[in-house]
Amino acid sequence: KSTQFFSVVSVALLCLVFCSQPTSLDAAPLCTNAEAGCHVLSLANLFDRVIQHSARMHGISNDLHSEFELYFLPSKNQIGRVSRNCHTSNILTPNGKENAQRMAREELTEVILKLLVAWRDPLWHFHQSMTHFHDFIDFSSNKSLKMSDMVHELRKGVQKVVEKMQMLGILSNSVSSLMSPEAFLASGSAEWRLMKDYELLYCFRRDSNKVQNYLKILKCRIVPEDGC
Amino acid sequence: MVCARMVKHLRLPLLLLLLALAAECNSMSKPGKPDKLGCRSPDKETFFCWWTPGSGGGLPTVHRLYYKTEGRETVRQCPDYHTAHSCFFSKTYTSIWVEYTVIVEASNALGNTSSDPLTFDLMDIVKPYAPENVTLVVSIGDNPHLTIQWHTPSNIDTKSGWVTLKNQLRIKLEKSKIWKNYTSDTQTHFTIYNIELGVVYMVEVRCAIDNSAWSEWTNTTFVKVPNFPRTDNSFWILVFSLSLIPLLVAMIILILKRKTVKKYILPPVPGPKIRGVDVQLLKSGRSEDVINAMLLNQRFPVVMPWKDQNEDYLIVSDKETSYLPLEKNKIFILPVAITLDSEVQSKETSEVDRFLKDSESSSEESSEKTKSSQLLTKCPSTNVLNDEKANQLKGVTEKIIQPFGISGYVDIPRHEHTQEADYSRVNEVNSDNILITKKENVPHTLDTQGQEGGVLDDYSRVKEVNSDNTVFLEKHSDSVNASIRAKGYIDWVNQKAKSPHVTGHSEMGVCPQLVGCGYVDTFPPPAVI
Repeated sequence: KSTQFFSVVSVALLCLVFCSQPTSLDAAPLCTNAEAGCHVLSLANLFDRVIQHSARMHGISNDLHSEFELYFLPSKNQIGRVSRNCHTSNILTPNGKENAQRMAREELTEVILKLLVAWRDPLWHFHQSMTHFHDFIDFSSNKSLKMSDMVHELRKGVQKVVEKMQMLGILSNSVSSLMSPEAFLASGSAEWRLMKDYELLYCFRRDSNKVQNYLKILKCRIVPEDGC
Repeated sequence: MVCARMVKHLRLPLLLLLLALAAECNSMSKPGKPDKLGCRSPDKETFFCWWTPGSGGGLPTVHRLYYKTEGRETVRQCPDYHTAHSCFFSKTYTSIWVEYTVIVEASNALGNTSSDPLTFDLMDIVKPYAPENVTLVVSIGDNPHLTIQWHTPSNIDTKSGWVTLKNQLRIKLEKSKIWKNYTSDTQTHFTIYNIELGVVYMVEVRCAIDNSAWSEWTNTTFVKVPNFPRTDNSFWILVFSLSLIPLLVAMIILILKRKTVKKYILPPVPGPKIRGVDVQLLKSGRSEDVINAMLLNQRFPVVMPWKDQNEDYLIVSDKETSYLPLEKNKIFILPVAITLDSEVQSKETSEVDRFLKDSESSSEESSEKTKSSQLLTKCPSTNVLNDEKANQLKGVTEKIIQPFGISGYVDIPRHEHTQEADYSRVNEVNSDNILITKKENVPHTLDTQGQEGGVLDDYSRVKEVNSDNTVFLEKHSDSVNASIRAKGYIDWVNQKAKSPHVTGHSEMGVCPQLVGCGYVDTFPPPAVI
């Protein structure tokens, strides 16, 4: 019996040692100058990762929106529908394939980053407000938290892609101004506080779709490999 | 003149009345409300809307579609009514992530009727067309499989990354009712293994853009999987049939030679059989036949006639006067036989049988006789004499049990005074096979004289035995004939001595060790083992 106990304890210890590695989406850090011990990823691979991430994010936002609609607004196509005044309306986004293709890479990248930056706070606030709705929590509280986390992670991922592109010389250095901490503070216009929850969800669903599509367009323009 | 003026005044109302009458007859009214307004984008770059017109109204009606986009307040009309009751929006008029509001208005002479407005975003109404050119290929071989290929709808641009297609196909057997679904992400081909042979499969494919709605299923494509025999089978069939031929040949040989085989495998066990006895005869059960079979046909071993033998066999158990230069413990048994008349001889067979049954028989004589007869044929391993008889004989001190090492007969000089006692004349043999001897003094001399004379004639006293195992006989001077006989005897002995095999040969019937000074039997030596 003692041998069994010791074996179990040893297995548990080994598991703790090896299983405690945190797994996250960007587990493999980008290495500048190909440092030793780093796992260097190709640009196409990075793009694929962020695109997948954005697809997942859009999926969650879509689910949340339809659940919300089902729960709080059963009747659709109302004439007196709430106006869509998303706080990101002032960001000029291309509204079609040709427009997106005609836009410069740097501009497109900026748009993506602006969108992602603009949604960090509202989503966090939304998650906080959702905790008061006990019914909604049963359904979707996980999703709202996950959504706000994903926005944060995706922004970091896109930043890494931009860095790589700038390193490779594909992108000029004009984009770096967006990623400074001052930009985050500047975007603190509180328009989003006026939005209602349903509008917020609707706006974010649209914007996450925009981000996904823009990333795809960007990828196929910069690294036109398979998948385009 | 007054009528003309009246008609003039009444013209307009009459017309109106007529019109009203006409209208009532045809039920003319405002146009019916257009219904079931729907819009769809097959490629995420353009879209079109359709509607069903309302019921009649009677008058020719015109349908117009008006739309409004989010952010712009201007209402615009459909840019292209390219088919009846539908409106097509080209790329220039299509914007994504922009909310459209579409309304259809039917108007005729009597009025307008509008449909319900439809509000949508382009990304909500994306639904591609079904895939095209579905081809099925059945591949034969070790692993029969079915390869399905198709093309994306021709209007979709997949190169720019704007559209990501995913595909789904379903397959079922023709006779089955259940479809089996498979998902293929962006590949436009799919392979299905583990297909059945000789059946017809039905395949349908559909696709979807991003997370939009699925397209319609393609038209069903049929494929027949041929029921081909596997090439391996023919090889194995050939091998199997070839291996069967030697088996068949072996079987045929076995059947033809079954008797020999049977003999080899199951050797015949000889049944019980008595020579000369017919089993069938015995089965018939007639006792006469049985007796005849059992007794007459039997050949019993030849028994030497007793009457010719006058020898007495003494039990040599005397330790003191031992003629045998042997170990003291070893004692030879020589059964004592009493010569009997021929009367007894008829009882020989029965007595032999009895002896065979018992080693110690109740009848002394019979036992001795049988024993001696046994001895004539061979040396028995054991001889047992009962104590009574042993004690009767003089010179006998013990009962002797000893296997014969050397067989033979030795004559031992009789004690003269016992001669009379040794012989008894058998008086009669009663029913119990007991010899009753008469106590009379047999004129031994008569009998014995003749015999003795014969004995004397036949026997010679051994003088000495030299180292060469040559027996030297003493000339008997008492008898007249003895000398002659003895001479003859000596000759015989000499002849015997000449033969090389005499020396040291036990076939003489004389055991060299035994002969010290005794009588040598003139008879041809019995068969000695």
